[in-house]
Amino acid sequence: MYEWNFAPVFAESGLLLAGFRNTLILTATALSGGLVVGLLLAFARLSHRRWLRLPADLVIEVFRTTPPLVQLFWFYFGLPIVLSVEMTPFMAAGLTFTIQSGAFFAEIFRAGIVSIEKGQWEAARAIGMGHNQLMRRIILPQAVKRMFPSMMERSIELMKTTTLVATVSYADLLFQANELAQKTFRPLEVYTVVALIYFVSISCVSFFAARLEKRFARTGEFSV
Amino acid sequence: MNYNWDFASVFDNWWALAVGLQGTLRLFAVCLILGMSLGLLVALGRRAHAKPVRWASTAFVEFFRNTPVLVQILWFYYALPILLPVEISPFMAAILGISLNSAAYSAEIFRGGIQSIEPGQWEAARAIGMSGLQTMRRVVLPQAVRRIIPSLTNRGVEIFKMTTLASVVAYVELLQQGKLVASLNFNPLEVYTVVAALFLIILYPIVRATYGLERRLARSD
Repeated sequence: MYEWNFAPVFAESGLLLAGFRNTLILTATALSGGLVVGLLLAFARLSHRRWLRLPADLVIEVFRTTPPLVQLFWFYFGLPIVLSVEMTPFMAAGLTFTIQSGAFFAEIFRAGIVSIEKGQWEAARAIGMGHNQLMRRIILPQAVKRMFPSMMERSIELMKTTTLVATVSYADLLFQANELAQKTFRPLEVYTVVALIYFVSISCVSFFAARLEKRFARTGEFSV
Repeated sequence: MNYNWDFASVFDNWWALAVGLQGTLRLFAVCLILGMSLGLLVALGRRAHAKPVRWASTAFVEFFRNTPVLVQILWFYYALPILLPVEISPFMAAILGISLNSAAYSAEIFRGGIQSIEPGQWEAARAIGMSGLQTMRRVVLPQAVRRIIPSLTNRGVEIFKMTTLASVVAYVELLQQGKLVASLNFNPLEVYTVVAALFLIILYPIVRATYGLERRLARSD
């Protein structure tokens, strides 16, 4: 019977903590970037102008149907050759996950905007609002509430996807775990602890998301 | 920006990529079948009368949905052999990680589908003397599966994309072979472009078909 020994893992907990911090930094960067990119892509896709709609369609479909790890390799190993720039693992990962989550967010934004009843658009036009005003004051505030559950789900997916950066040596939680497992010869304990760290933090996020959803549902302005 | 693309060096090694594609398809087929069937079992487990079965199924779903697949694959590859006296090949580790992860996700899809069937269907089946299992098999599941086909197809596409993670434990699949070709010919840009294009060519028709299917089902319901 194997004897579990977590002491060597806890002795190096600083290493894992630093990795967890980097995971959070990368997630936050890609999340904030992804929301902006997603909103822009959604507007472009809903636009009447073809030269805006077609490129947005292309970006959304390509990034949704290719594996994130292939995208990451393309941005890390391939892109620097075209642009002749130096690419750090963080830059490559930030760029990949910003555009990738942007493509997914765009579809959520689009579905939310399209779901707002026609009457709302007509009423806003009737009292003389321009397109931007109507979007900002009438449509988006209502759409965002409906999109909330899918947004949270996508953000959690994003946090899990960030583990892929370990393959290009960005020191995220998983990368630090690989290092620690080699250093301590305790892969069982290390990977178990790391899995638990992800499990606990992601469960906390889902728990608070679920509570917020209930609150939105109570105020009656929320429906899927 | 005037980089000279040279795809010839990629196509010279087409056989390496073909071997990789074969590995990808093999892993995909196994994980699709295991993931979906285990998912159905877990979904039924969450509706079981026995509390321990219900509890275990819920714990399974929560755990596998709330941890990254890559961590699961690495756990099965490096950690599991320490606990059990078994050899775990990269193929096995990838199958375990991806199948169990997809089982948790598809269990939720099956559960949603089963719940969406009106209580009247259950009552009617009982009234004509069917047992619970018979009702599930003959009345509820056939209707539920029809409704969840688009979500299940999406899951299938996700599984296909997930197979690239097996390259991390050096299982021979498309991306792993891409890495090999890129390191031999120093042409990562072309190789990864081709690999991405291959995934797009295989998956895009399926994704488009799901869009159409979703619209058809929405109309017929």
